[in-house]
Amino acid sequence: MNARADSVRAVSAKLAVRGLTHRYSMGTPPTELTVLSRIDLEIARGEFVCIIGESGCGKSTLLRMMAGLLMPSEGEVLHDGTRVRGVRHELGFVFQQDAVFPWLTVEKNVAYGPKSRGVPKAERERLVAHWCEAVGLTAFRKAFPKQLSGGMRKRVDLARAYANSPDVLLMDEPFAALDVQTKAEMQDAVLDLWKSTGKTVVFVTHDLDEAVFLSDVVVVLSSRPGRVHAIVRSTLARPRNGETRVGDAFAVAKRTLWTTLQQARGRAVAPAKARQAPPTTTERA
Amino acid sequence: MPSDAGRSVIVRFCRPAVIVGVLSLAAVIGVYWYMALRPGTNPALVPSPPAILKALRDEIATGDLLVNTVASLKRVVIGFCIGASLALVLGALAGWFRYAGYVLNPIIDALRPIPALAYIPLVIVWVGIGEPSRIIIIVLAVFKPCVVNARAGMNEVAQIYVDAARTLGASRWRVFATVALPSAVPYFIAGLRTGVSTGFLALVAAELIAAPSGLGFMIQNAGQYFRTDVTIVGIIVIGLLGALLDQVASRAGRALTSWSDVRREP
Repeated sequence: MNARADSVRAVSAKLAVRGLTHRYSMGTPPTELTVLSRIDLEIARGEFVCIIGESGCGKSTLLRMMAGLLMPSEGEVLHDGTRVRGVRHELGFVFQQDAVFPWLTVEKNVAYGPKSRGVPKAERERLVAHWCEAVGLTAFRKAFPKQLSGGMRKRVDLARAYANSPDVLLMDEPFAALDVQTKAEMQDAVLDLWKSTGKTVVFVTHDLDEAVFLSDVVVVLSSRPGRVHAIVRSTLARPRNGETRVGDAFAVAKRTLWTTLQQARGRAVAPAKARQAPPTTTERA
Repeated sequence: MPSDAGRSVIVRFCRPAVIVGVLSLAAVIGVYWYMALRPGTNPALVPSPPAILKALRDEIATGDLLVNTVASLKRVVIGFCIGASLALVLGALAGWFRYAGYVLNPIIDALRPIPALAYIPLVIVWVGIGEPSRIIIIVLAVFKPCVVNARAGMNEVAQIYVDAARTLGASRWRVFATVALPSAVPYFIAGLRTGVSTGFLALVAAELIAAPSGLGFMIQNAGQYFRTDVTIVGIIVIGLLGALLDQVASRAGRALTSWSDVRREP
């Protein structure tokens, strides 16, 4: 297929997933396991999209395929209409594990991407200063990661991803290992970055609160094989802050999402309340 | 040790580890001294500690000790530099690039079970008994632990760092140079430290083969003339020098891996 045909088909989407299926073999004798089945998604420019689903539903696999870290068995991922065939710096990734290079200082971590792409030193210096400031780490630029807390290392990770001038940020449960307080701070930080840059974010999580708090759109995956069960569009007002977390609208949105997730798991729920929930719309995919 | 920096010398040396350690060493010397002074013991074969100290003073005064120490040190440093750099380059390549591994792994694994000293007869036949043969033995002794550790370090590079670097746009070569190599440094250091001590062991053996100078030569030569006191001086100096080299390697290693929060005690 040629790039031109792709761009015609996906003209409106920043990131599009088409007919994506992924299988792998395991065990002896090898049994084929379908992890993801016929996923279709369109992610608009500047949107904050969360992907949720039961553990093992393939949401991380889906994200890694969007990043070009894994190749799907069938189907394709299109970024600005061109097929993703491997990692590219336009698709920034933030990992669940601690991925900050421990042998580099904070500023050298942040400068790593630009340096890899041959950005001149003066420009690198400007990027490092800007992004360290943006995540509140200016005082720790010369520190090594082992001297920082888990939350601060995540900030380094975010700064490193943003400093590489990505077009889309792919985040794979980045705050799953953090305590509740730190997690909330990091969610605020990620919303600030999203707002100030206007860059598309795809954020995988298993935390309903996190998905409700952050997203414009939540993609709910069903399990084994992972399929798109529903796409839930949030109507929570922005900007979102501490007030948002304790508001009624938040509770209603969470309830809707929870109901949808239960359905995705194939479990019976009493749907009446959720279906009436006014500020959130649910469209079946 | 940074935590001791503020403490006085007295406090630092009054720790149980130091006191008991010194006593333990003193007991060994005491037993030896008792044996040496027993009636019927030949002082030429079992010299008393004061006699050993006197031999040490004489060796220093004549300059023999310095000449021999420098000769040994020179060999071990040259052999170490050649063996270690060869091992780090080949080990890193074998552990990281698949085809380099296919080529190098059989060679490394074939060499692995053979002690370096087993090559001595072959090296003498091929190269003779000159300086090069002694250095070749040391190179072989240093090479083995260094190459095995270097390869292991490159095999253990965490995938998460590789993925992170790739998503940031690093080329394959850049991932090798800026992710794999630095993250394997603790393994390199472990290999180099083992290499220092095995190299030093091989040094003495290499100098036992017809060397004109060196600590190995010194103890061998003294033994032939029944100068047991000089032999013991040589053994003590070899021990001290080995400990010193290990300390140098250990400190250099710690400085290079200050970023790591893993404890790397021997």
